[in-house]
Amino acid sequence: MKTLPVLREKKRYIAFKIISENTINRRELTEELFDSMYSLFGDKGTSEINPALMSYDGGFGVLRCQKDRTSDTRAALACINRVGGDCVSIQVLGISGTVKGAMEKFIQQSIIKETELEKD
Amino acid sequence: MSVFNAKFYDFMVHLPDEMDSVISLVSAAKEFGYSGIAALNLKKNRTDMNQLPKDFSIYNAIEVSGKPSKLRDEIRKYKDTGEILIARGRNEEVARAAVETERLDIILQPVKFNNVLGKIASDNSIALGFNIGSIIHTRGEERVRELRIMRANLMYARKYDLQMVLTCEPYSMYDFRSPREMAALGGLFGMSLKEAVDGMSTVPLDIIRKKSTGHIQEGVEII
Repeated sequence: MKTLPVLREKKRYIAFKIISENTINRRELTEELFDSMYSLFGDKGTSEINPALMSYDGGFGVLRCQKDRTSDTRAALACINRVGGDCVSIQVLGISGTVKGAMEKFIQQSIIKETELEKD
Repeated sequence: MSVFNAKFYDFMVHLPDEMDSVISLVSAAKEFGYSGIAALNLKKNRTDMNQLPKDFSIYNAIEVSGKPSKLRDEIRKYKDTGEILIARGRNEEVARAAVETERLDIILQPVKFNNVLGKIASDNSIALGFNIGSIIHTRGEERVRELRIMRANLMYARKYDLQMVLTCEPYSMYDFRSPREMAALGGLFGMSLKEAVDGMSTVPLDIIRKKSTGHIQEGVEII
């Protein structure tokens, strides 16, 4: 059964880019992401943030969180410095209210910008 | 207008030895939204400035360290060189010697900061540094300790109206974090968004101004 619209929790979608030497797979990233959140906010805090990796292609991804916990999610993403032995840095590209918005507004724009830079 | 439209600086960057790594570190800093950095080993590793982007500023910083007496001598030695002087407050004795010596710019993450040190630092216009990198690179008990220190330091900085500087102390391109992430990490120990933004833009710019050749002392400047 669907949740009543008035009771539905508002969410935000964080578009991010991974900078690393080797490609990081989805399972490793999810594990590290949750590990970072548990370490910073504990089980209670993580349940309140309600994170979920919506999309990830090896370079870019979209992470879901609660509307009022975007700053905490940013902090947890910033705390990730190593995944599976590789040094990584996660750059947040932007935050959107929909997955489509995050993909079109930030990830696609970022890819277009990168290809233009490569052409130059 | 967003508060993040300012120019951001990181004042505690360790440059790698190879020139290629320096170029990738500088381009990573630029991509993350920084307008400049202060490098601790700029002279030592003979960085070729011509290979770096023109619209990116690199300043020279020196980390003074050692016993309290040596620390005072080092600060006096470099005080008129125009380099940004940073001391790490490893313990109370070192922190005291550092804040008591005029012309030091930043006291980074003092472990046992107190009201006496806060007052002296305020009189000598020394900024209080917060090493965000210590939150990123530690876990568990160690991170709890770092956060506790930063929370206490923030309390004294507010009480004695000290300038605050934020750094992620990068050693490689993977250690940089964007100003928004730095502000979010600052929020973990109670730092407000404005304080965090000022700590990466207004205060570093003020330190650069103080270090310029025209500046004599507060309120006196050669035009």
